[in-house]
Amino acid sequence: MNAKRPSLYSLTSMMVMLTLLLSACGGGVVTATEAPAPEATGTLSVLEWAGYDAEDFWVDFKNAYPDVTVNFEIGISDADIYSKMAAGNQADVFHPYSGWLQFYVDEGLVEEIDTSKLTNWDKVSESHKKLGQINGKQYFIPWDIGFTSILYRTDKIPEGVDSWAALMDPKYAGHISMWDDGPGAVTISSYIHGYDETAITDEQLAAIQEEWIAQRDLNLFYWAGEPELQEGMRSGDVWVAYAWQGSYALLLGEGVPVAYANPKEGRNSWVGFYGIRKGTENLDLALKFLDAKLAEATGNNVVNLFYYGHSNQDVMNSVTDPMLIEAFGLNDPSILEKTNFTPNLTAEQRDAWTSMWAEVKAAP
Amino acid sequence: MTTFRNSFPLKAYYFGLIGLLYLPIAILFLFSINANTFLSFPLQGLTLDWYEKLFASDALLRSARNSLVVALGSSLTATLMGTMVGLLMMRYQFRSKGLLVAMAVLPLIVPYIVLAVALLLLFSVLNIDRSLLTVGVAHTVVALPYVLLIVGSRLAGFDANLEEAAMDLGASYPTTLRRIVIPMIAPAMISAWLTAFTVSFDEFALALFLAGTQPTFPVYLYGQLRFANRLPIMIALAVLMMIGTLTLVLIAERVRRAE
Amino acid sequence: MTTTPSPSLPHFPEKMGEGDQRSGGGRGWGLDRRATFWMLYLPPLLWLGAFFLIPLLLMFAYSFRPDMRGDFFQLWQPSLNQYEKLVSTGSYWRLLWTSAQMALLISVISVVMSYPIAYFLAFHGRQRVGFYLVLLLVPFWTSYLLRVMAWKMMLGTEGVINSFLLYINIIQEPLTALLYNRNAVVITLIYVWIPFATLPILAALQRIDIALFEAAADLGARPFHQFIRITLPLSLPGVFAAFFMVFIPTVGEYVTPLLVGGSRGSMYGNIIQDFFTKAANWPFGSAMSMIMLAGTLILVAIAARLINLRDLLE
Repeated sequence: MNAKRPSLYSLTSMMVMLTLLLSACGGGVVTATEAPAPEATGTLSVLEWAGYDAEDFWVDFKNAYPDVTVNFEIGISDADIYSKMAAGNQADVFHPYSGWLQFYVDEGLVEEIDTSKLTNWDKVSESHKKLGQINGKQYFIPWDIGFTSILYRTDKIPEGVDSWAALMDPKYAGHISMWDDGPGAVTISSYIHGYDETAITDEQLAAIQEEWIAQRDLNLFYWAGEPELQEGMRSGDVWVAYAWQGSYALLLGEGVPVAYANPKEGRNSWVGFYGIRKGTENLDLALKFLDAKLAEATGNNVVNLFYYGHSNQDVMNSVTDPMLIEAFGLNDPSILEKTNFTPNLTAEQRDAWTSMWAEVKAAP
Repeated sequence: MTTFRNSFPLKAYYFGLIGLLYLPIAILFLFSINANTFLSFPLQGLTLDWYEKLFASDALLRSARNSLVVALGSSLTATLMGTMVGLLMMRYQFRSKGLLVAMAVLPLIVPYIVLAVALLLLFSVLNIDRSLLTVGVAHTVVALPYVLLIVGSRLAGFDANLEEAAMDLGASYPTTLRRIVIPMIAPAMISAWLTAFTVSFDEFALALFLAGTQPTFPVYLYGQLRFANRLPIMIALAVLMMIGTLTLVLIAERVRRAE
Repeated sequence: MTTTPSPSLPHFPEKMGEGDQRSGGGRGWGLDRRATFWMLYLPPLLWLGAFFLIPLLLMFAYSFRPDMRGDFFQLWQPSLNQYEKLVSTGSYWRLLWTSAQMALLISVISVVMSYPIAYFLAFHGRQRVGFYLVLLLVPFWTSYLLRVMAWKMMLGTEGVINSFLLYINIIQEPLTALLYNRNAVVITLIYVWIPFATLPILAALQRIDIALFEAAADLGARPFHQFIRITLPLSLPGVFAAFFMVFIPTVGEYVTPLLVGGSRGSMYGNIIQDFFTKAANWPFGSAMSMIMLAGTLILVAIAARLINLRDLLE
């Protein structure tokens, strides 16, 4: 055997050692803790939307329990989160939005929350508390609150936008961006045509499908995550889009000339909730996490960074920034009056509407 | 020997295409030393800041480490199993041989999305949480055919009489394997291992479905792609990886040629 | 390396005791060969069975599940529900066909564009072949996602191509037709595949015996004729291998369309992905996957007739 050729064994053992070495090094960033943490150590895993994994949005928990490792798994939509949870995802905490709550209760995926353990619970308004109740039991805590409306570039569309139909307007062909979501599309069509969202008939659904197939030729791309949308708006490729407030806040802060429309059919409003997976071993930690989510510093970040509302009334009452007041529609009661709230989806609707959207995308 | 006397047009075509292939790489490289987070010409200024910030970016480095671990684990497993199947294919006759070889080669033709969802189903049914392990398992399955083709090809060209001779002289079969066959096919095994490593390291389609809370580098990258201001750091890492790979390959070439 | 005829399998005694007939076979080397056989056979069999065969069978079974209601793992009544829906929706078949067409275009162009490269490397590389090959493959070792993103930057309205064309005044307004459609997907994928497609063609070209060219030249064949009558036919197995190596993964591609395809660039794989992630409709997604798998298997059966696997191994 050639002595110069490294033997296979030595090569392999070298590789194995390398792996072990690297696993050890990368293993964890050491956070220097000044004082020993209260009681809590351990790991918590959260199924979250992209962006909310940033520390700003759980800062209270981080400060109170610096020794707890929080792992985030990202879900890209409610359907994604639901199918992950239904398939047995082991996340302790998850973040669904209005319309999708019923499924978790029906399938026995969520724990009932003992609100006596939440120190910040009394800061949440009664009406919001109710939104997180199914069959009279508190399964979810409300957290982020916001609008959906149309975001547009004021320099490209100086005449402004006043209707959801703008998303289908041939005038803006090639510069429209819609959210990649079937139920969202059905909602918009129902606003435009005045359908009853809770009772969409088969004919109406077929008409909606045709409408969105036609819209596809005007649409530049469907955005799956807000940063994608923001990039498009920023570069001027996208002039008008379905968007949540967070994008409005961000782009405005960057100096991009955008405005958030008040369509005559009314904006849409949604609430995000946190729930605890049924059967989690980390129930205590999960409850602490939820409690910390309702706390002030976290709430302030939600409001100031994303322009979303927060369920903690104290946080909302302390909003003084006129830009924020305008974004929340606090100064104009007529906005809130016209706002449509997302009703709960049924399983049949979920299947039908998501299939409809897949067909829109697959259409020739 | 050339069949076309003048090789200039071919050479020009080669270098022209190389130029085109490297154009996006050049853009990426520029981006990594660009002072601004937006790439617009003319460039605002050059900086090595991103490379510095790269080493402070925990999540990014962790994802790179994850990719390394997964690639090493899956490539070693795939090389081991692929060599086993290669030996079986070339040195044994048995009834289920067709089935085994088919199973080993079929992953080549199964579209990644199909394999991804099939494995997702399996892990869900078994209640196994998605993790680096599940990604690694998927990677062994897709890398195995490459190993089999490379090692099997080498075994095919290798006279089996040497083994018969060894055994005639009293060596047991395992000993023959260890002292004759393996050393002879070692270069092919290394080549196969490197191939399996490459297949795994940059793999994205499967990892996206099967990674859990610990992302591999491509999965992490995908999640961050939408944040335009974080792009330069990731490109810096990719550039470093590319340089690293290039170095490794040049070293491997040197070693190979030294024999 | 010149081709050697494939060695027939060595005659190893399968039965114990046969070895006794040979000198030094007192150990009964049939026995340890059998033991070795099981050591070599079981691990890959179990591994592939568990992580390749069973998942696909599971998916097959899942495609007969009527709907996603109820417990995830319950015994359900098999039904053709999903397949009925699939068959009755024309769009999905058309999309499958379109995806196949795109894959065909991409494969043909990739192979055609990479053939001259392989030719150059095989016959004009001389000592620097290794270097040229490495140069070709280095982009392949950069992150795939980033390369696609780079293309996005090049094709965008503020990207390199548009800036350049505007600068030299060929166009007045940036071209929007370069990104967020099928063209972008095709261009990007061709770019990604060319280095890879070169390899099998190169391997095939390198195996051609140079003596053939000398003989042909002696008989008065011109270089062009030598190419048509010798090089091209002998390289065909490599060409077909390259074609299928690109074609088959591309039909199921979903990542590139996701990044640069926009609303109209979706491929069949994207819809499967959607059904698994956005629609939480795993049975239908499974049915769609089975159809694609069946299609791919048929194509491969055709391919197997065109390429002899043995030829590749030699």
